[in-house]
Amino acid sequence: MREWFANRNRLFRAGFVITALMFLLVLIGLVYTPYSPTAMDEGAKLMGFSLRHPLGTDHLGRDVYSRLLMGIRTTMLIALGTVSIGALVGSVIGAICGYFGGIPDELLMRVMDAMFAFPSILLALVFVSLFGSGRYHVIAALGIAFVPSFARTVRGEFLREKNRDYVTSAVLHGIGPIRIMFFHIMPNTRDVLLSSVLIGFNNAVLAEAGLSFLGIGVQPPDASLGRMLSESQQYLFKAPMTAFVPGFVLVLMILGFSLMGEGVRPDGE
Amino acid sequence: MGNEQKRPLLQVEDLQIEFRDHKLPETAVHDFDLCLTRGEIVGIVGESGAGKSLSALAVAGLLKRHSVIRDGKILFEDTDLLHCDRETLRGFQGDEISVIFQEPMSSLNPVHRIGRQVEESLRIHHPDIDAAGRRSRALEALRSVGLSDAERVYDSYPHELSGGMRQRVMIAAAMIAEPKVLIADEPTTALDVTVQAQIISLLKEINRTKHTTILFISHDLSLVRQLCHRVIVMKDGRIVEEGETESLFVHPKAPYTQELIAAIPGIDRKIPVHNDNQIILHVSNLDAGYRELGHTRQILHDITFSLKAGEILGLAGESGSGKSTLARTILGLLTPMEGTIEKRDFRPAMVFQDPYGSLNPAHTVEWILTEALTGGRRRRERAAECRKAVIDAMEQVELPESFLARRPSELSGGQRQRVAIAEALISGPNVLIADEPVSALDVTVQTQIIALLEKLRTQAGIAILLIAHDLRVIYKVCDRVLIMRDGRIVESGDVEQVYFHPQEQYTRDLLRAAGV
Repeated sequence: MREWFANRNRLFRAGFVITALMFLLVLIGLVYTPYSPTAMDEGAKLMGFSLRHPLGTDHLGRDVYSRLLMGIRTTMLIALGTVSIGALVGSVIGAICGYFGGIPDELLMRVMDAMFAFPSILLALVFVSLFGSGRYHVIAALGIAFVPSFARTVRGEFLREKNRDYVTSAVLHGIGPIRIMFFHIMPNTRDVLLSSVLIGFNNAVLAEAGLSFLGIGVQPPDASLGRMLSESQQYLFKAPMTAFVPGFVLVLMILGFSLMGEGVRPDGE
Repeated sequence: MGNEQKRPLLQVEDLQIEFRDHKLPETAVHDFDLCLTRGEIVGIVGESGAGKSLSALAVAGLLKRHSVIRDGKILFEDTDLLHCDRETLRGFQGDEISVIFQEPMSSLNPVHRIGRQVEESLRIHHPDIDAAGRRSRALEALRSVGLSDAERVYDSYPHELSGGMRQRVMIAAAMIAEPKVLIADEPTTALDVTVQAQIISLLKEINRTKHTTILFISHDLSLVRQLCHRVIVMKDGRIVEEGETESLFVHPKAPYTQELIAAIPGIDRKIPVHNDNQIILHVSNLDAGYRELGHTRQILHDITFSLKAGEILGLAGESGSGKSTLARTILGLLTPMEGTIEKRDFRPAMVFQDPYGSLNPAHTVEWILTEALTGGRRRRERAAECRKAVIDAMEQVELPESFLARRPSELSGGQRQRVAIAEALISGPNVLIADEPVSALDVTVQTQIIALLEKLRTQAGIAILLIAHDLRVIYKVCDRVLIMRDGRIVESGDVEQVYFHPQEQYTRDLLRAAGV
């Protein structure tokens, strides 16, 4: 582990530290929050930083620090779910298209292109308005919207890798196409896939924030970073810190993943 | 002229080059000395990683950012190129010192016309010459490198030219400003033998007519012998020997030089095993090719030949002659359009040219070999049996068992090719189809791999179809040879007969170019 870390480049290490910090906050939030993230206090609305409420309170008197811990968790969960769906489904589609080519490739990729033509947030918007909001719907909606970008990336890698001699050699040894795709070629797309997963993570965090900001993502009283931003928007001049805190954490989270994503690229640094 | 010639044009003293990357050995080049006088051709030889290119590029001020010059002196006439400012250095680059590289494909910019690229150094160093002047200089330069159709080439894009033409264009671009020194970094390695010979005679011609000093870097000793006046032999970043070409080749002093010269293929030859073994493969009147979007591109025309058990059959020809397509068709990767392939107890396995590409970089040697053995259908209860077979295969290719845990990136080129051969052997074939198995390797490693193939034939009775563009390699081991050109077999027969009594002009050209 130590050696693995030392062998990464500087960008990756910086990103890794930031991301580890985020996960630490999620863990803390699971074990202990000073207040209930949804408990309101009529007497303490829109308070600044204080000893009682280290990061202040929002417009309903809820403790921002407690809500932040919950919000990071929700946002991370949604991003993780989204990217998992996108990467898994997208890799399988990309692998099939890239390896076999021909008619299935044409069909699937035209569907992907059609999906790609719409911004992912718009697709998610359609999905949510059809099936309802809430965090699991958001995961499903964003997950599907993320499939095309993964499919494209993986397809491109497969197109390049399938002509290499090690694949021909595997064919000559009588190894079946499914095994060649997933055991021979897939491991060689590792770097590119990891990099797109990390960058996808970012886009998912942003997309969730966007959806929640628009009010169709995570529903009250649950907290997510986007939800917190959206709620504090009205009070931006009265209590700027209630918007600044979730905003800052969002930026930090995205920075962490971006740096890691840049750092694992084969041509990084 | 006499005095002028003795005066050094370029002088390099005690050059030390280091890699910035700490994973690699710290010093890449130690105490490199070089003295070039006007009109001289000096060769630098050595295997890959010996530091030949690094030293030469340092002279041109072209080191990449992962390597750095630690110490030393580079004097061009009276200017110190190491300690001058960037502007002065740029004034020399392309004007007084020009470089041509190995890959003519990647050294030319695909989006610009040839003419513009040839003129480039004039545009930079001689802004006083107008467009018409540049054009006439460029056309003249193109003609002088043997491109008689200069106008057409001038307006072409790189992809419209062949590899040999591209390399001529590169030479024209390098020579247009009439530099005093031309550094040629493996300029012929990516080219076919007949084209190689043309480029070598072109370099000789340039040297004779323009008195250009040439620094020629190559791993091919026979080319160096044909071209150079003086030779520097490098190994592991050090100069091991230096001297006049003929005396160095005839009386090499350093043991490493002796080894290199002994490894030049083609002088000795084992007596072929005449056998009346049964024919295991008979191909008759075969046509084959590729189908692309509706239309077919036929590559092979009317191929007829047979392969006997336990024989080594050479298949020679330039790139694009259809050698690899023939191999693919025999292996069943391509369906023949016409003709028949008869197989009797024909169990083939393939060895590829590039051991970097043929071994899956994501897995260990053991995984790769086990996968080939089981065809991807692994069974836990047969694990011990598999492991034994894997170890046996490693023994056959003379690699230690400890290598099983390594990944291809942790092996040298020769070791990789041994693993690739083990991978081929593990399924118990009686025929190896080896597509240029040694052309990506250094000469001393080539000799070892060829010896291994011969051993497999004599000890295990494995027949080999050896595809090679290097006629010397074929001469060394093959019983019979087929010469291919443009998808047809133009000549075939016992190696001795074909080499000493070639019937076709094309065969004679190939043999002459190979220096056999």
